[in-house]
Amino acid sequence: MRSKQSALSQGFIRCGECGLLANIVQSAQYCERCGAKLYARVPYSLQRCTALLLSSYALYFPANMFPIMTVTQLGVTQKHTILGGILSLVEKDMVPIAILVFIASIIVPLLKLIGITLLLLHVKLRWCKHARLWAVLYRLIVLVGRWSMLDIFMISILIAVVDFGGVSEVIAGPAATAFAAVVVLTMLAAKSFDPRLLWDDGCL
Amino acid sequence: MDAVTTKPLLSVKNFIACPECDLLLRITELRPGEQALCPRCRCQLARPHRHSIEVCLGLSIAGLIISIPAYTLPLLGMKLLGKSHSGLLWSGVAGLFQEGLWALAIVVFLASMAFPITHLLLTFFISVHLHVNKANRYLALCMAWLQHIEEWAMLEIYALGIIVACVKLSASADLIFGFGLYAFVVLLAITVVLAATLDAQFFWRKIAELS
Repeated sequence: MRSKQSALSQGFIRCGECGLLANIVQSAQYCERCGAKLYARVPYSLQRCTALLLSSYALYFPANMFPIMTVTQLGVTQKHTILGGILSLVEKDMVPIAILVFIASIIVPLLKLIGITLLLLHVKLRWCKHARLWAVLYRLIVLVGRWSMLDIFMISILIAVVDFGGVSEVIAGPAATAFAAVVVLTMLAAKSFDPRLLWDDGCL
Repeated sequence: MDAVTTKPLLSVKNFIACPECDLLLRITELRPGEQALCPRCRCQLARPHRHSIEVCLGLSIAGLIISIPAYTLPLLGMKLLGKSHSGLLWSGVAGLFQEGLWALAIVVFLASMAFPITHLLLTFFISVHLHVNKANRYLALCMAWLQHIEEWAMLEIYALGIIVACVKLSASADLIFGFGLYAFVVLLAITVVLAATLDAQFFWRKIAELS
């Protein structure tokens, strides 16, 4: 079933920690260089990834519906959702920053959720085509995933700096926790997805 | 590196597998400055650096020193109605914690403080042992941890967060840039260069030679 060229089909397992190859037949269960347990593929990769992905979908809705921060400016209190915060940046003529925040907090999480879903479907349904393009999608998801934390860090900085009692202050809202959870869970989902599954099953 | 199509069953030592597509490849020596890509999935396999251990050692010491002002001095402040207030990197975490958003506070604390500092400490620990050729049974464990937390240390994203926060605030108040901010920028530069210089495979080989 497996692609002829893969290390596994030739009887080798790559250590997940240090990258050393081990012979399936001769060697023990543990890597002789770093002592880590050897797995041919990430164990329960699809199950773990699916579970983490479903949790992120569930949290994605509260993250976008509830206010992510409450801004009090000279006595006037305003609640912002993620999208509301971006729109208020556009109103203040800060379009480049608005685009940056839009990419980091709307496009990237959506790309990750949809992208990981497609990757899982690809493996489950054995679509078996264009493995190289899917590998590019996987790498993109891993690469850009962290950048969604931008909004969370920005709020944490605003909380630290804008702190003038009741006159002017910034308070984080309930959506902030949900949003951070989405980012962390999708990062974990991407990490638990084993990209080698895209190339297995003799899809080439 | 050439793909292997015939059954080799030779020594394991002569081969590596691509981490992303599991293609079996013959090892070839690279010169510093060259990089090896997987011929099938284009994943970067190796990118050796000149004096990787020494540079990592120096940079991790510099990073540890500069993180003291970066984490203890005011980063950013603002003036409003004659009053001024400055915030540390730490005070954002404390503010989140006081509001009861402890989960969020922990995530921000880990990503902006704990993991970057642990990353520097582990790099220092490993490179100092490799530099003086001293074995330590925790080296492999530290190296594994180093690779695991690398992705979760998010100083560069925090820096972008500072920029966005500055732009947002600049419309409504005067900003004060503290010395902590300059130290933070230096720390950021050091960690970025460090991540690019650290040659994980070379480090693993050295660790194996020592033990």
